[in-house]
Amino acid sequence: MELLFNLTLNGLATGMLIFLLAAGLTLIFGLMDVLNFAHGGLFAWGAYSGIWIYTTTGSFLIGIFGAILTGFLLGIITEKWIIKPVYGNHVQQILITLGLMLVLSEMLKVIWGPNQLTANPPEYLKGSWEIGDIIIIKYRVFIIFVGLLVFAGVQFLLKNTKIGLVVRAGVMNKEMVQALGINIKKVFMFVFMIGSGMAALGGVLFGPYSGVIHAGMGMEFAILAFIVVVIGGMGNFTGSVMAAILVGLSGSFMAYYVPELSLAVNMLLMAIVLIVKPQGLFGGKG
Amino acid sequence: MKWIVNNRMNAIYIIIAAFLFLLPFVYESRNMLILLTQIFVFAILAMSYDLLLGFTGIVSFGHAMFFGIGAYSIGIFMKRLEPTMLHFIYAVLATILITAIVSFIVGLLTLRLKSHFYAMLTMALAGLFLVLAEKWRTLTFGNDGFTFRVPELFIDRTNFYIICLVSMIAVFMILKRFTNSPLGRVLQAIRENEQRTESLGYQVLHYKIAASVVSGVLAGIAGIFYAMSLRYVNTSVFAMDITLDALLMTIIGGVGTLVGAIIGAGLIEFAHDGLTELAKEHWIFERWIIFFGIIYILVVIFFPLGIVGTLRKFTWIRKKQHPAKKKENLAG
Repeated sequence: MELLFNLTLNGLATGMLIFLLAAGLTLIFGLMDVLNFAHGGLFAWGAYSGIWIYTTTGSFLIGIFGAILTGFLLGIITEKWIIKPVYGNHVQQILITLGLMLVLSEMLKVIWGPNQLTANPPEYLKGSWEIGDIIIIKYRVFIIFVGLLVFAGVQFLLKNTKIGLVVRAGVMNKEMVQALGINIKKVFMFVFMIGSGMAALGGVLFGPYSGVIHAGMGMEFAILAFIVVVIGGMGNFTGSVMAAILVGLSGSFMAYYVPELSLAVNMLLMAIVLIVKPQGLFGGKG
Repeated sequence: MKWIVNNRMNAIYIIIAAFLFLLPFVYESRNMLILLTQIFVFAILAMSYDLLLGFTGIVSFGHAMFFGIGAYSIGIFMKRLEPTMLHFIYAVLATILITAIVSFIVGLLTLRLKSHFYAMLTMALAGLFLVLAEKWRTLTFGNDGFTFRVPELFIDRTNFYIICLVSMIAVFMILKRFTNSPLGRVLQAIRENEQRTESLGYQVLHYKIAASVVSGVLAGIAGIFYAMSLRYVNTSVFAMDITLDALLMTIIGGVGTLVGAIIGAGLIEFAHDGLTELAKEHWIFERWIIFFGIIYILVVIFFPLGIVGTLRKFTWIRKKQHPAKKKENLAG
């Protein structure tokens, strides 16, 4: 019972981190038809900059905001300088975003050195609660909470604001939105910025969760996020949160019972989805 | 002889090949020999990548997977069994079989979808192979890897150099022939416009799978030579870096040109070698990949044709101005 509970909690926390990465990826894909292979790099940048600010200032909150700000900034720069010149050309997009990934992760090593950094949760999030014989680690609950908060926030943004309406319309039919006189390029940048911010937030939250951060972690998480995007359906925001939780849970249970197969199970899931329902388990556009 | 005279490019290729053949007998430098061997091996990998990227318009991020399968099959065969020519042939056959099956399955799963899916699935599968190589310790000795002996013919560095050079030239000629064949023409048509090719009645999926299988098998062969040149294999052969190297070589050299892949391989390997030396002077050169990353991004934005492609474009413009000369050097 206790074990099951802990594995579930762990899976949910990991799932939320993957969600933060995958949500931006799927929105960017849905709206702009760009699969951003550099998204993992933004995740790693969020982690490094956030943890760095956190250790220098001593405040985790400032660290989180710093990370989100870094994500926003990098998102704007990426969209403006890297993605914009190659809109509409899939092969070039894939190539260029991978190149950016390369530069981003090498830049991390240049700035913060090639060794991994350690990160601890702040005092108020350290330790755990004990309810009966169940031990709940506070930090994991915190991650789940933040994840849900972001999910609710973005959902609100999409469903209840003007710009959300434009984004949803853009996902359905870009040309039509443009024909109605809306400057969709500006919306692209906004979505890219939000997506990058979420990835960076995921990164900084991941730091104290695992205890160490290293430059290669962007790639590892990006692969999981891709799996999530495929399972949830490309461009499907609610699908991505379900798929992220699914992948997080299966990862956490598998890592305990059959650790050799933990990545393989997710891969298998992705392969099955690709064969049976390429538009994703939760519908959406394919 | 007429063929050579008629075709200036072919003459240049033959002169360079002859020069490379004679080099080890004239200029004796072990380091140079090893570096050039490495270049030939990576040129095979880059050319196989070019078949996908440059001729069919498919982006694969898991090319290291095929490379690693080749490297591990030769390693395992040579380690478990006696290092004889017979077992070498077995290893080659095993590599061809496994890489063909894997690339066929991956292609079947994803090539009917948008190009993103192939890139993603190959990337994830390569990650899976990396984990497999790390975890299946009884077969692969995990992260540490293992050394092995090679058949006698390959022990001498000069022999091995010649063999790699011959293989590279063979692969170049095979791919040249392949891309100019009716099948290759269809592949290029797919790259240019998939819908139109399909509406002309071609089964696009079959052609794409054929390209990915050929490319996978050749990458596996490059892996065999790579492992044999080191006589050692570890999990790094499955790492993303190998795919990135192939990608950089193809893009910088020029996509869809084959010879660009060779030039790219030479450039990157030489630069890698040189920058590793420079790293002793200043630490920034240890992160040499950052320079290539930036160059790569600039090339993708500003010179999507790469070195060879850009050069060809200029000669093409020049030729247009001299229509009389046009017939002379169309090929190349």
